[in-house]
Amino acid sequence: MKTLDSQASAALGTADPGWLSERRKQALDYFEKLPMPSPVEEVWRYVDLDFDIASYSIVENPGEAHELGVGIAAALPDTSGSLLIVDGHVVSSENTEGRVSFGSIRSILAADPDLLEPFLGVAVPSDLDKFAAAHAAFGGEGAALVVPRGVVVEKPFFVDVQATENGSVSFPHVSLSVGESAQASVVLRYRSDDGLDSLVVPQLELNVGANAQLKVTVVQHWGRGTRSISHVRGIVGRDANLHLGEAGLGGLLSRLNLTVDLEGNGSSANVVSAYFGDENQTLDYRYTMHHQGVNTNSDMFLKGAVQDEALSVFTGMIRIDEGAQKTDAYQTNRNLILSDGASAQSVPNLEILADDVRCGHGSTVGPLDDDQRYYLMSRGLDELRANRLLVHGFFNEALARFPEPAIAGVVTSWIDAKYREAQEAGRV
Amino acid sequence: MSLALQVSDVKARFGDLEILKGVDIDVPFGEVHVLMGPNGSGKSTLCHVLMGKTDYEATGSALVDGTEVLGLPVDERARAGLFEAFQYPVEVPGVSLDDLISEMGEVREDPGFADRVEAAAEALDMERFRQRAVNNDLSGGEKKRSEMFQLAVAKPKVAILDEVDSGLDIDAVREVAHLVEELRSDDLGVLIITHYSRILRYMKPDKIHVMVAGKVVRTGGPEIAAELEASGYVDLVDGEATVSAPDVTPFDV
Repeated sequence: MKTLDSQASAALGTADPGWLSERRKQALDYFEKLPMPSPVEEVWRYVDLDFDIASYSIVENPGEAHELGVGIAAALPDTSGSLLIVDGHVVSSENTEGRVSFGSIRSILAADPDLLEPFLGVAVPSDLDKFAAAHAAFGGEGAALVVPRGVVVEKPFFVDVQATENGSVSFPHVSLSVGESAQASVVLRYRSDDGLDSLVVPQLELNVGANAQLKVTVVQHWGRGTRSISHVRGIVGRDANLHLGEAGLGGLLSRLNLTVDLEGNGSSANVVSAYFGDENQTLDYRYTMHHQGVNTNSDMFLKGAVQDEALSVFTGMIRIDEGAQKTDAYQTNRNLILSDGASAQSVPNLEILADDVRCGHGSTVGPLDDDQRYYLMSRGLDELRANRLLVHGFFNEALARFPEPAIAGVVTSWIDAKYREAQEAGRV
Repeated sequence: MSLALQVSDVKARFGDLEILKGVDIDVPFGEVHVLMGPNGSGKSTLCHVLMGKTDYEATGSALVDGTEVLGLPVDERARAGLFEAFQYPVEVPGVSLDDLISEMGEVREDPGFADRVEAAAEALDMERFRQRAVNNDLSGGEKKRSEMFQLAVAKPKVAILDEVDSGLDIDAVREVAHLVEELRSDDLGVLIITHYSRILRYMKPDKIHVMVAGKVVRTGGPEIAAELEASGYVDLVDGEATVSAPDVTPFDV
C-alpha cells in the first residue's frame, strides 16, 4: 500500500506519454494545495465528509474479484467486450468488437499514445476539488472505448469496477468516446463488500461526436463501508444524444457530480437516476445540464427514496447560455421519505440567459400517497403489500427510462428486495 | 333472498359535523339498487364509511354477506367481498393494471381468478390498458371501464358504484348501464350511487333509495324516479326544504 504523495504519483506516471505526464504533475500540485472540502462550501453543503483522503492508501496488487451477480450476468448474456477493474487495476479485459478500441487505458496508450489525448483527463478539470486532483495525480488506469466514425455497435460493453482492500483508495477511470454518427452502449457496475472501509474516486469522461449516440448505464452497488466520490462529464456534439441511467443503491457515502455540456446545435441528453438509501447511507447528487448549442434539449429525471436514517441530496442546475435559443429543458426530482428518521433535500435551479427557451422543473419530497394506498387496499391488498407496490411503481417510472431495460429489470428486483427486507425487519 | 349488504343505523361524523344520521339499506343478492339524493346528502360519505376511509367516525352496522365490516381495515373489507368502484379513481403512477391485478390474485387465492381476468379483459376490451399505469391518462369512460374490469376480476359479493355515471357523455353512460346489467347475478348485490337519474334510462334497478340530509327518506321501486321528476327532493323531506332540486330526467322503460 502506498500513501498519496509525490513519490507515488511519480511512480504511477512512469509509463505516461508526455501530454499525460504534464497533466499528472499539474494535478499533484493541485492535490497538495487543495484542502479537504468543507460543508461551508456551497457545493459540499448537506454532506458530512468525516474522513481524510490522506488516511487511505493505494493498493499495489489488486485483491480477489467477486463473481458477477446472477442478475447482472443474466441481464448481459452477450457483450461486445468486458473489462474488470479491481482496486484501481485492470485485471482482465476482452473485446470481441474488432471495429472499436476497447481495453485498459494503459494498453491503449501503449498501442497508440495519441489516440486518447483529446479525451483523457480533459473533461473533469483537476483543480475542481481535492478528489478530482487526486484522481488525476494518482489515477490513470481504467477502461477506454473509442468508437470510430460511423460504427454502430449493437451489444453493450461491460465494465466491472470493484474495491476489495480495507483502507484502500482507488481512482478508476472510464473514458468513452463515440465518433461522428457512431453508436455504443456501456454498462458499469460498482461493487465492494459491506464490511470494507474503502474510498473510491471514479471518473467518467463521455464524448459523443456529431450525430452519435452513447448510452451509459451505471449500477452503483458499493458495500456499506465504501465511500465514493464520483465525477461524470459528458460532452455532446451536434445532433448527438447522450442517454445516461444511474442506479444508486449502495455505499456509505456516494456522491455523484455530473455535468453534461450540450455543445453542439441540436444535441440532447436524457439523464435518469433511481436511488434508494437506507440505514446511515448518504446519496448526494449534483447534476448540471449546460445548454450551449442552439435547439438543444434535455431531460433530467431522478427518483429517490430514503428510509431509516438515510439522507439523499439532489442539487440540479439547468444552465442555458445566452446563445442557446430554442432550448427545451426539464428537470424532475421526486423523493419518497419512508421513515421518520430519513431525509431528502431537493434543490433544483435554473439559470437562463437565452430568451426563447422552454424550461421547467418539478421537485417533491414526501411520504407514500395515502389516497393511492387506500385505492390499492380497497382492492384487497394489505397495507404492506400496497406499500410495496407503490414503491415499485415509484421507481418504475425512472427505471422505465433506463438505456438498458434488462439492467433496469435487475435494479428493480434489488430495489424491491431492499424495501421488502426493511418491511420484514419492521423498519418501515 | 339473503342479503348481500345490510346497512343498519349507520351514523358518521367528520369532526363535529354529523353527516350520516342513521342509514338503513338492505341489498339482497341478485338485485341492483340505486341510492339517489341531492348534493351533500351523504351518499358519498356512506360509500367512504362502508369501504373504510379513515376520515370519518362511524357507528352502526354494515354486514357483507353476514360479516360485519365496520371496524375492519380496508383490505379486509375488500377480501370480505366488498368492492367500491370509485367516482374519481386515483392514478397510481408506475403501477400497471396488470401489476395490480396480479397482486389482487395473490391475496385472493381463488383458483378461478386467472380465467376471470382473461374473460373480463376480453369482454371489456381491456387488453391495451393492461400494461399501462393504473388510471393514468385515461378518459372518464376508460376509468369507469377499468373500475368495472377490476370489479369483474375481484368477484365481490357487494359492489358499490359511486357516481358511476358522472362526468360521462351519454354513450358512456349507456355503456356503463349496460355493464351494470351484465353484472347482475345471484351471488352479487349492487348499489349504484348517483346524483342524476339519467342512467335509469338505460337500466332497470330493483329498488331506489332516496337519501336526504344523512338519512334514507324513501325506498321504493323504479317509479320513485318519476316521482322525483315531478316533485323534486323537497317534498320528500319533512321540514328540511332547503335541499337542492334534483336533476332528474324521465327514464323510458
